[in-house]
Amino acid sequence: MKTITYNDMHFTVEPNGAGWDILRGGNAVAGAGLFQGAPEPEAATRALALIRTIYPVGVRSVGPDVLHPNTIGDLKIVGPDVLHPNFIYWNKDSVSCPKDL
Amino acid sequence: MEIKGKVVMVTGGGNGIGEAVGKYFAQRGAKVALVDMVQKNLDRVVKDIKEMGGEAIGIQANVTSEADTARFIQGTLAAFGQLNICVSCAGIIRDGTLLNLDAETGKVSRKLGFDKWQAVIETNLSGTFLTMRDAAEAMVNGGWEGLLVPISSVNKCGQVGQINYSSAKVADALMPKIIIGEFLMRGIRNVRCVAIAPGYTATPMLTQMNQEALKGILADVHLGRLVAPEEIASMIGYVAENEALNATTIEITGGLCYPKGIAK
Repeated sequence: MKTITYNDMHFTVEPNGAGWDILRGGNAVAGAGLFQGAPEPEAATRALALIRTIYPVGVRSVGPDVLHPNTIGDLKIVGPDVLHPNFIYWNKDSVSCPKDL
Repeated sequence: MEIKGKVVMVTGGGNGIGEAVGKYFAQRGAKVALVDMVQKNLDRVVKDIKEMGGEAIGIQANVTSEADTARFIQGTLAAFGQLNICVSCAGIIRDGTLLNLDAETGKVSRKLGFDKWQAVIETNLSGTFLTMRDAAEAMVNGGWEGLLVPISSVNKCGQVGQINYSSAKVADALMPKIIIGEFLMRGIRNVRCVAIAPGYTATPMLTQMNQEALKGILADVHLGRLVAPEEIASMIGYVAENEALNATTIEITGGLCYPKGIAK
């Protein structure tokens, strides 16, 4: 069993027959029966790459966008808009981010 | 296409038809990537597939986001190395009539909100477009045998109270003819496209609705009950296995009729 901590989330990679399961937080199943036939080091490497892909760390900074069309009555709702110029895509592990800014 | 060993990606895979599709293919030896906005639904379905002895991953994502779409395709490839079948089940409803009138004055008292129009078009049409486009890109570049399955609806014929939903679903139903016509022009032969247009199906969306209204709907269904999500999944399985099915939209409704017995 291999333990991976990524962005303050804890994952374990456990054997399941000829494949591997990725568990999140001890009990949630993120993936089942993956990487059939792969040895543990390879499974752990591939699991980390997969975790980084499917659990991205995103910082969405959305400024006032008066042209955004989503409204409920007079309220203007601004959701995460990845095409917005202020959107920052952050995919690095949180440990690489300084604790004190 | 033989199902065993193939990789299936299903958007809206956390419940309803998407969940049934994921489980159907996992039971038959396919590897399944489930995409949904609700993490706890994904966790539940992936766990169910694990207990069935299947292979699956869950990817939380929003199909209306171009970046998310690229990410869940990339995640599928990172987990399973290829992509063969893509089923676009993610969908929402925001029903309402174009206009509402004041009972006393007969004047317009309320219009259908643009937010209701836009949310449904973004999820049910733009989301399907992005999913189909990026899945097709992966299949063509990978050279894998592929099948694209947009989910339309029998309400593509035009349902009152659903100008947004019906508009999106009629467009989804057109996709196979356009996509395959373009693939023929471009010499792309390894990817098919078949849309499925379900009738009223026993998903949480319908089973939780007003039961009297549901009775009214069922009065027009020859089968006398809602279509089961598993029946939709089995139709998609049949489409996967039958290579002659291509560039078309298949309705599976249980015999849904207009009032007075004219089949839709």
